[in-house]
Amino acid sequence: MTTAQAQATLYHDIPEARDVKVAIAGVDVHYGDKQALFDVSMQIPDRSVTAFIGPSGCGKSTFLRCVNRMNDTIDGAVVTGSLKIDGTEINDKTIDPVVLRASVGMVFQKPNPFPKSIYDNVAYGPKIHGLAATREELDGIVEQSLVKAGLWGEVSDRLTDPGTSLSGGQQQRLVIARAIAVNPEVILMDEPCSALDPIATAKVEELIDELRENYCIIMVTHSMAQAARVSQMTAFFHLGNLVEYGPTEEIFTNPRERRTQDYITGRFG
Amino acid sequence: MTEPSKKAATREIVERNLPARYRSESRFRTAGIVAIIVSVIILVLLIGSIGLKSLPAYTAWQIHLPVALDQALVDPEGDSSEASIRQGSFGRVLQNGMRETFPDVSGRSNMRSLFQLYTSLNSTRLMDQVIADPGLIGSDYVFTMPLGDDLDLYLKGMLVEDRSVEMNGVLEIEAGRRRTNIQSQSADFAIVLAELQQMMIDEALSLESRAAANRTLMASVDAEEADRLNEEAARFDQRAQVLRTDAAGENGQLELSDDLPSVIVEFRGGAIRMNRLDLNGQGGSGESILSIAENRSDEAWTLYVVDTPQARRRIPDNQLIWTRALVERGIVTQAFNHYFFANADSREPELAGIRGALNGSILTLIVTLLLSIPVGIATAIYLEEFAPKNKFTDLIEVNINNLAAVPSIIFGLLGVAIFIDVFSLPRGTPVLGGLVLSLMTLPTIIIATRASLKAVPPSIRQAALGVGASRTQSVFHHVLPLATPGILTGSIIGLSRALGETAPLLMIGMVAFIADAPKLSLEGFTEPATVLPVQIYLWYSAAERAFEPRAAAAIIVLLTLIISFNAVAVYLRRKFERRW
Amino acid sequence: MSVISLVALALLVMVAGGFYMGRTRAIKQVAGRSSELHSLPNYYGYYVALWTGFPALLLLAAYGLFGAASTHSWTVAELRAQAHEMSAQFEGDLAANSEYVQLESTLESLELTVNGLREELARLRRANDADRDPHLIQLRLEEQRSSRALLALAGTSIEDYRTGVATGMLVTARETGVAASIRAGFFLTHSDIVRAELFMSDARKIARGETPSELLPELEIVASRLTDHQNTLRNSVGLLVLALAAIALLWTRSQIQPQFRARNNVERLTTVLLIAASILSIITTIGIVLSMLFESMRFFSIIPIQDFLFGLHWSPQIAIREDQLGQSGAFGAIPLFAGTAMITLIAMLVAVPIGLFSAIYLSEYAAPKFRTIAKPVLEVLAGVPTVVFGFFALLTVGPAIRALFTSLGFESAVTQSALSAGLVMGVMIIPFISSLSDDVINAVPQSLRDGSYAMGATRSETVVHVVIPAALPGIFGAVLLAISRAIGETMIVVMAAGQGANLTANPLESVTTITVQIVALLTGDLEFEGPKTLSAFALGLTLFAVTLLMNVIALRVVQKYREKYD
Repeated sequence: MTTAQAQATLYHDIPEARDVKVAIAGVDVHYGDKQALFDVSMQIPDRSVTAFIGPSGCGKSTFLRCVNRMNDTIDGAVVTGSLKIDGTEINDKTIDPVVLRASVGMVFQKPNPFPKSIYDNVAYGPKIHGLAATREELDGIVEQSLVKAGLWGEVSDRLTDPGTSLSGGQQQRLVIARAIAVNPEVILMDEPCSALDPIATAKVEELIDELRENYCIIMVTHSMAQAARVSQMTAFFHLGNLVEYGPTEEIFTNPRERRTQDYITGRFG
Repeated sequence: MTEPSKKAATREIVERNLPARYRSESRFRTAGIVAIIVSVIILVLLIGSIGLKSLPAYTAWQIHLPVALDQALVDPEGDSSEASIRQGSFGRVLQNGMRETFPDVSGRSNMRSLFQLYTSLNSTRLMDQVIADPGLIGSDYVFTMPLGDDLDLYLKGMLVEDRSVEMNGVLEIEAGRRRTNIQSQSADFAIVLAELQQMMIDEALSLESRAAANRTLMASVDAEEADRLNEEAARFDQRAQVLRTDAAGENGQLELSDDLPSVIVEFRGGAIRMNRLDLNGQGGSGESILSIAENRSDEAWTLYVVDTPQARRRIPDNQLIWTRALVERGIVTQAFNHYFFANADSREPELAGIRGALNGSILTLIVTLLLSIPVGIATAIYLEEFAPKNKFTDLIEVNINNLAAVPSIIFGLLGVAIFIDVFSLPRGTPVLGGLVLSLMTLPTIIIATRASLKAVPPSIRQAALGVGASRTQSVFHHVLPLATPGILTGSIIGLSRALGETAPLLMIGMVAFIADAPKLSLEGFTEPATVLPVQIYLWYSAAERAFEPRAAAAIIVLLTLIISFNAVAVYLRRKFERRW
Repeated sequence: MSVISLVALALLVMVAGGFYMGRTRAIKQVAGRSSELHSLPNYYGYYVALWTGFPALLLLAAYGLFGAASTHSWTVAELRAQAHEMSAQFEGDLAANSEYVQLESTLESLELTVNGLREELARLRRANDADRDPHLIQLRLEEQRSSRALLALAGTSIEDYRTGVATGMLVTARETGVAASIRAGFFLTHSDIVRAELFMSDARKIARGETPSELLPELEIVASRLTDHQNTLRNSVGLLVLALAAIALLWTRSQIQPQFRARNNVERLTTVLLIAASILSIITTIGIVLSMLFESMRFFSIIPIQDFLFGLHWSPQIAIREDQLGQSGAFGAIPLFAGTAMITLIAMLVAVPIGLFSAIYLSEYAAPKFRTIAKPVLEVLAGVPTVVFGFFALLTVGPAIRALFTSLGFESAVTQSALSAGLVMGVMIIPFISSLSDDVINAVPQSLRDGSYAMGATRSETVVHVVIPAALPGIFGAVLLAISRAIGETMIVVMAAGQGANLTANPLESVTTITVQIVALLTGDLEFEGPKTLSAFALGLTLFAVTLLMNVIALRVVQKYREKYD
């Protein structure tokens, strides 16, 4: 792709009502000698769902993990370029990933509740960050988070059961509750529904839609249908390049790039 | 609270708590590093301290003694036959050699002391040399043998505290029949004299203070105990009194007892052990140990003081003096301790070596290897590749895992109860030891083999079966070759563990004292033997101090073997490690 | 070259020949068109070779294991039979000897007393609460103890008497020119086991052409017999091996036909061999259990099991004379259990924190380069033989601890203390714990760690709150295995903990453990069949039972844990 073309897709209009939450400019990611992402720039709006789509290995997950600097935990991963949340540069040695991650939550592909009770799972973040001064406060945070995650009704009477005793869909919502318990500004979701059955998927999607009211959600998904259902903005990645980015409707109905169209119509995947 | 302000508050709290969290983080990390460092330090300390202790064992002081191999003594029958030589009195030959070397030593007890510079076991070694080369009969021969173990330690500076001072005043020596008087022009002995007197006074003081302590205690105990204390105090006082009187000297002389450091005057070709020192510090009298036939005067002489009193060491002064003289004359020299590597065990530390134990270990390991590796691999192949999944194979599996964790000493008990008592296998032989050790290593080998068989992906088996191979063919032609490096690694580690094992072998009687190295032949398997770790245990429990460095050196040899075994295993693992 | 090596070589040649013959015969039968054969030609070769080699090899191995022992017992039995007359005369002389008869009758009456006391005691113990008379039981117990000592004394005096008479007869026999073989047989019949062993070992030395400790005509005759029998046995076994191989070779060769299912046969045979190998492990366990159980039963028939398990006093030497101090023959194992427990506890206090923290650091913090250096160091530590640790404990750690505590004012500190043994044992266990924990920590899925990091947790928070709880069952299993290892460890405690059976809670004193006592009981002066020797097996059984229980639990816990995350 030529620079001019890339430039054309980059600063696509963001619907006016929304502020820019995450601004990315010229991000490259290297794993050792291998380059995984090439010069990605985009602006992600607040209070909306942004979906990253693309074939396997296109770099969408890698990019997602730049936003909370999870790539730091991988040996040999080097991220260059600028990533700003609310105007603050986060891809910077002086920014502590611990603080950053307190405000950027993440949900993974496979539900990964900790080997603790449901209560302790949700209370984990507030506890380590010292957000609750008293037990009552902590109880309040846990309840609120579970309510927000739509799980309270199902688990309120068995908060001491291990988190792993829940069903897959419940586990994933528990993990979301765990993430929102620390009041994050951005929530990253890495294929949150790929390990779930259709009914559980529907519930989680519903939840994501509700959470959009308060959070900036960035989601990697394999399913184009899901992207179309829940997201407002969609970015298409291919071979480490951001090919096209724009409002979901436009991307799906009127893609500018040939590759986007081929992918969406199923020519490759 | 509105959402944005709540979020800002959260961030603030997080940042406020951060320093404390990082402090605990660094404490935790430090604990981890400390744990690793402790392990490394212990390893260094372990190997270092044993290595240091082993140093004296690698060299030996040897006597190169000129001996006359008179036919009458060494070959009584006169036909140079082995039978005749075996009747020879080689002990006498050695004694004559010593006498020739120190012609002026006389008196039974002095002679006996002189012949203790070496162990009498050396006469057998001399005999063997003559048997090997009968041409030596009748010739003058220089026989090399190790110096006695205590003297060896003495020359290595490990037995006594001593010092020598070079002097150059003129020393007049007047040789008498029973004692020799010496007189120096200046007060050369004054410092030593003062030290000795001070030592006696100090001892007297300490005795007196103990007596005083006893007397204060008397008030607080019952009558009987008080009597006892009082008596003891009286004895202390009396001894202190004697010491003070002795320290003051008598007839202008200080008498040197065996409880005091030895003072020896050495000069060209001679040495005198002082019995009395003149209080003026200019001379004294003593016993001539080395050749003073006539009166003489010397200008260069040495005052040699052995601070460890004669009463508190195993070797008397005269042996020290003779040994020093032999070193001076070049008859005693230090060399690589080949006895340690060439000999089997011996009652005398200077002749003891690891050869016997090494051979025993080799024989035992051969038995272990021949039994445990084929059986272990066969079991693993059966369980991993052929066995149906049922109660019986489950039982075998659980059983093997448990056997791997059974204490080794239990296998020793098994050896005693089954192999010795029921099958009456010969006690303490490599066959028995190998049998017991192979039962012990079997689980290790089975588990390692199974792990490496498991690591071969099923696709290989399916591919082989897919082209029409039988199950046996797929296992033996395709799976097994791929698993070989892993199996080899596991077997080597199992064997290295067997090499270092001690406890079960103690049980089955491999602790006997074996003076001849077992032959590395078929017969060797059924003759009593010992192995390296047991030899270390035996030496550690022996009384002679000189066995300690030998035990340490044997440990170094054992560790070298085991670490090289492990290194080979690690190398194989690294080289052939393949991830599917 | 020895006969056996020749036979082995011949066998090897026959196996190779068998392979070749089987193969060529199969090919010849189909005139070279091997596709007409049922199996590949090689399988016909394998078939013949396996049958030729295996039974013969088994026979050869059996000879290797039992040959020397059989020669030995054959020779001894023959010599004893030759001395039959002399022995009969010996027994006759003794029977006519009033002094000896007196001794025997004393022994018999003492045996009766002891048996009577045992029965009475059993009856008293079984009595109901009301009839139970503790005082009487105590009284009878004391009586039993003293008559046991008397019985032992009588036993030794009879032995001594017999030995004395036998020695006298031997001297007369030598003077009157009785054949040396008869004298040797008589000696072997009537001397004690240790002397007989020494005698035979000298005879073997002569037979091998080495120098014995003494040269007697008896020894020479025994040596020549030994050589004869050894040769006979060896030659006949050698012939038998070759005959077996030859017959098998000819028989299997004659079976070969084109439609012969050679591959199936070979594979069936292989499977049978494989199964046989895997059954060996079961046999080992059964052997362990049975031998321990059998000998322990004999022990418990002499010493009641409750006295053994709950007795507070351990002193296995049985007093022969009244005036011997502290040798009452008490078999209360509590001091050993307590000593074992204390040393194990100290070892765990050292090993668990250091091992666990090393594992955590290596798996969670260390850079790969550091790991590649540190892991081999721990592996080296794991490979160090325990006798080396024992040496280290006694000569370096023990004196250091003693010096330290003496300078702190503990005058009673000794070199061989529970503390030094425990510390060094802890060091020995560090690599064990760290490698097992490393495995279980690595088995914790990365997704859990990612989840925690994504919440903004630091590494230590992740480890403490997520990784360790997740790995806890595995770590528990590892620690349990380590404890069982510490309990069963022998050399360190033998060398560093001492022998005194003190029941104490002071780690600066010397204590003794189960394993130390087993070694002491079986390596000291061997006293066959006595409760002293048998008690080693009772201790062994206890040790086996405890470690087995721990291993079973630990392995089960670890396995459950593995299944959870696989």
